[in-house]
Amino acid sequence: MANKRSVAKRVAGLKNFGIFALIPLMIFALVLVTPFIRGIFYTFTDWNGFEYEEFVGFANYEASLADETFWKAIGITFAYVGASLILVNLVGFGLALLVTIPMRGANILRTAFFVPNLIGGVILGLIWQFLFDQALPTISENTGIPLFQENWLLTPETAFWSLVIVTVWQMSGYMMIIYVTGLMSIEKDVLEAALIDGSTGWRTLVSIKIPLMASAFTISLFLTLRNTFMAYDVNLALTGGGPYRSTELISLHVFKEAFGFGFFGTGQAQAVLMFLIIAVAAITQVIISKRTEVQR
Amino acid sequence: MSVMRRRALGFTGVALASALVLSGCAASETDGAASCDAVTEVTWLNTIKIEIQEQFVAAVDEYNATNTDCVKISIIEYPQGEPFFSVATPLYEAGNAPVVMTVLQELPDMADRVMDWTGTELAGLAAEGTLDKANINGKQVGIPVTAEAFGLLYNKAVLDEAGVDPTAIKTRSDLEAAFKAVEATGRKAVHFSGLWWSLGAHFTNIYHTTAAADQAGRLAVLDELTGGSKDLLADPAFTNWLDTFDLLKQYSIDSATIADTDYDQGVENLATGEVGFWFMGNWAEPNLLQTTPDGSFGVMPVPTSNDASSYGNDGISVGVPFYIIIDEEQSTPEEREGAMAFISWLLTTPEGQARWSGPIENDGMNFIPVYDGFTVEPTTYMSQDIAKYIAAGKALAWINSYYPTGLQDVYGAAAQKYYDGVSDRATFAKELAAAWAE
Repeated sequence: MANKRSVAKRVAGLKNFGIFALIPLMIFALVLVTPFIRGIFYTFTDWNGFEYEEFVGFANYEASLADETFWKAIGITFAYVGASLILVNLVGFGLALLVTIPMRGANILRTAFFVPNLIGGVILGLIWQFLFDQALPTISENTGIPLFQENWLLTPETAFWSLVIVTVWQMSGYMMIIYVTGLMSIEKDVLEAALIDGSTGWRTLVSIKIPLMASAFTISLFLTLRNTFMAYDVNLALTGGGPYRSTELISLHVFKEAFGFGFFGTGQAQAVLMFLIIAVAAITQVIISKRTEVQR
Repeated sequence: MSVMRRRALGFTGVALASALVLSGCAASETDGAASCDAVTEVTWLNTIKIEIQEQFVAAVDEYNATNTDCVKISIIEYPQGEPFFSVATPLYEAGNAPVVMTVLQELPDMADRVMDWTGTELAGLAAEGTLDKANINGKQVGIPVTAEAFGLLYNKAVLDEAGVDPTAIKTRSDLEAAFKAVEATGRKAVHFSGLWWSLGAHFTNIYHTTAAADQAGRLAVLDELTGGSKDLLADPAFTNWLDTFDLLKQYSIDSATIADTDYDQGVENLATGEVGFWFMGNWAEPNLLQTTPDGSFGVMPVPTSNDASSYGNDGISVGVPFYIIIDEEQSTPEEREGAMAFISWLLTTPEGQARWSGPIENDGMNFIPVYDGFTVEPTTYMSQDIAKYIAAGKALAWINSYYPTGLQDVYGAAAQKYYDGVSDRATFAKELAAAWAE
């Protein structure tokens, strides 16, 4: 009797699995796992984009590691990830605090801050290209503010910061929503208790609110880390890697290596190395963040 | 990694979707092929070049509507500026390889996959020398589309006013004198575009093509660069070329910065006579004539030496910008025949030739024909200028078509740095040499 029930339970479980997970799982296997494994396979061959003739061992990896421009792209990517990680989350959290203050129009503000996230990366890149190229210099000319007088996309340092500015503008609205959810989920009784104990606004924020919504930080930091490491479309549309290949992030570099130069073997190897770097960075970040989360 | 993959798939999706859309448009109701048992569909990747896209589509439409070869050409469009490989490799991978493609620097990469044109009628009609670059180990991999030329474009009205005769400019100091004469009329002398492709592919060719008087010597320079044994700064052709580079920078209409990457601005400046010269190629002529329809725009050499007899001082760079290749790996014999039928129609029939070399305003592509038996010729001022140089044997080789895939990007970045004044001669030379080591 009991046995029968457990069999029925298992069948029902399988049925549910089939209904809900099988199709996504198949798609996942087909469009992610299969190409991924094939991609790794190709890195050990002399693949030319069409076919391969022989195995070359680790030659593609050796060539990648010996490639100066690859290291340059990694360096720029890390700088970009670092700057974006800090700024996106600072701005996102700041906005979240702003829009949770009970006031008129808070919802409109929330929507407004979130909208940039709905614009596709390429269009966004083109909009900002126009802003840096035409709009901001014109404004600067008419107001006498020298900051944006020159087109920021034309020198390596300013082009890098342009990329960061656009990223912050695009992503902080999304992070804001996550932080808002975190802030709202803090129970009122805890905050009231803190108030009765005489805790001020700043003190409450640092000692009560932030620890209690640490999971929101974990998610936001992870998402920012992942998105910025893999940034491609904004990079392509805004700077195209220029001026003089100085803002070529790793994804764009890999794309150019393979399709622009026709070095498919090394391009693929660099893509695998990029995967490893992102995996290590993301796992480390999640482990560290998890430790700081508080269970109530 | 997975990002790359998904992107590749995405592009295929886009390419296929647009192919479907286009074939939908191209399928004309008044199909002349009604008497056919089966119509062979032949795919053609892209539209040769963006400047004549509409004209090419019009030619395809006419052929589809009138041909008796039982062939329908459909265009696979791809996003402008995408590298050839990013579109071609996914299509090959998917088993949907295009039948016809147009390439230049990718010729060696494609050589094993495409048809041998040796012995075909069209290869026999091609002008002498235009087939060489596409002959790889005895296999005729492709046939030429057209010949294009680049050099210093000039606005004849401006030069006439300044009393400058472009054919009398033989040396770099002559050129500087001409610049001064133009400036004396209250205009600026030259527009020198900071576009990466103009600097990286075309302007660097001025050095490579004057590096030696014969082709073997010029290619030997490329081999030395690849081997790392070439000292560019010790080569007088190179330092002379840099002197001309500096001269163009000095007399440029705006202070040279890569902010000047607007092609249309160059068109505007030369067409309206703001400047007398512009370093560009004959592909700009239709744009110039659109702005100033009654203008005369010619092309002249870029002198790099002060010795008038120095090789290359009196020639313009003429070359084939694209070769037509036909896939042999995934296409059927019928598709290949259909492709050749269409190309023959374009190059050998009066209707096709009118499309190929007729003026832009009549929906022609304004290509300078490089095949025997053409009854249609472009009649514009610049085309005639180019014909004179070719007839006089003053056509310089496009060594840039021998640059490996992607090298012109690295050259372009290095040249932009020098143009911007970010790097000096030594750094520039080092970066050019390093481009070959990669």
